[in-house]
Amino acid sequence: MNEKELIKKIESEFGIKAEKQRDRRIWVTVKRKRLMKLCRFLYEENFEHLSAISVTDFPEEKVYELTYHLWSYRDKILITVKTKIPRNKPEIESVTPIWGESAQIHERELHELFGVKFNGNPDLSPLFLEDWNKEPPFRKDFNWREYVREEYYDEKNEREKPYFV
Amino acid sequence: MVSKAKKLRRLIRSIWVFNWFNSCGFTELIPVVGSRWDMERFGMIVTGTPRHADVLFIAGYQTLKSIKRAKRIYEQMPEPKVVIALGSCTMTGGMYWDSYNTIKRLEDYLPVNLYIPGCPPRPEAVFEACEKIFKHVLEMKDE
Repeated sequence: MNEKELIKKIESEFGIKAEKQRDRRIWVTVKRKRLMKLCRFLYEENFEHLSAISVTDFPEEKVYELTYHLWSYRDKILITVKTKIPRNKPEIESVTPIWGESAQIHERELHELFGVKFNGNPDLSPLFLEDWNKEPPFRKDFNWREYVREEYYDEKNEREKPYFV
Repeated sequence: MVSKAKKLRRLIRSIWVFNWFNSCGFTELIPVVGSRWDMERFGMIVTGTPRHADVLFIAGYQTLKSIKRAKRIYEQMPEPKVVIALGSCTMTGGMYWDSYNTIKRLEDYLPVNLYIPGCPPRPEAVFEACEKIFKHVLEMKDE
């Protein structure tokens, strides 16, 4: 199957617009409710490899954009599925029932760094940040420099003054 | 009875090293292992377990998670033990001075005997530090 056939299939099945970015690259934007359906459909279309899940933070629009990169070994196509979730209540269904372990570790990391809750993921315990009790550090409104100054440095210390410039 | 320090002085011909490196830390010490600088001619050997080691090399930035493991490694080492911290990351946090996840001064967490500054430190500096360990043992007093 080539890109054109796949785009046609997605458009006829879901009624959403898929866009050919360049050779063998497709972008699809989908509503949160229909994400699982689309993922199942793509998995059955031989997109067995979930390369990455990533979150982009848009504080002005108050949304997180989730991006799923899927690769098909048979067709050699990389498809990028995007979906938006509200920033103040970041919850989404987990794709672990479809891709298993490879989805699990990505979701665990994103839960830690952005606070996105993936419903259905069996283990969302902290991965890198043990004993972290602040807000998730990768959110754009988290001022990490301010946090570090408060936590680690003393302005009155002569040696540490340059950190406060 | 022969004292512990005396015994050590008689015994010490070599030091066994355990490496605990994060990120680019190990590439900093690779020239020391290789044939050009060759640390084994000075009697320094890298051990596979902290229980056999006299010296703990720590290099690279330590994260909040890895410093816990470093502490456990330190506790497993037999007395007397020496901790050497390499590179600017262990001293000040280096280029990660404003990271939420790295520790800034190693001495707040482990008793560091020697710092070797540099990013990366030169092999000569590492050897000089090790010479100081030998001296440290020779000058060791009984408790």
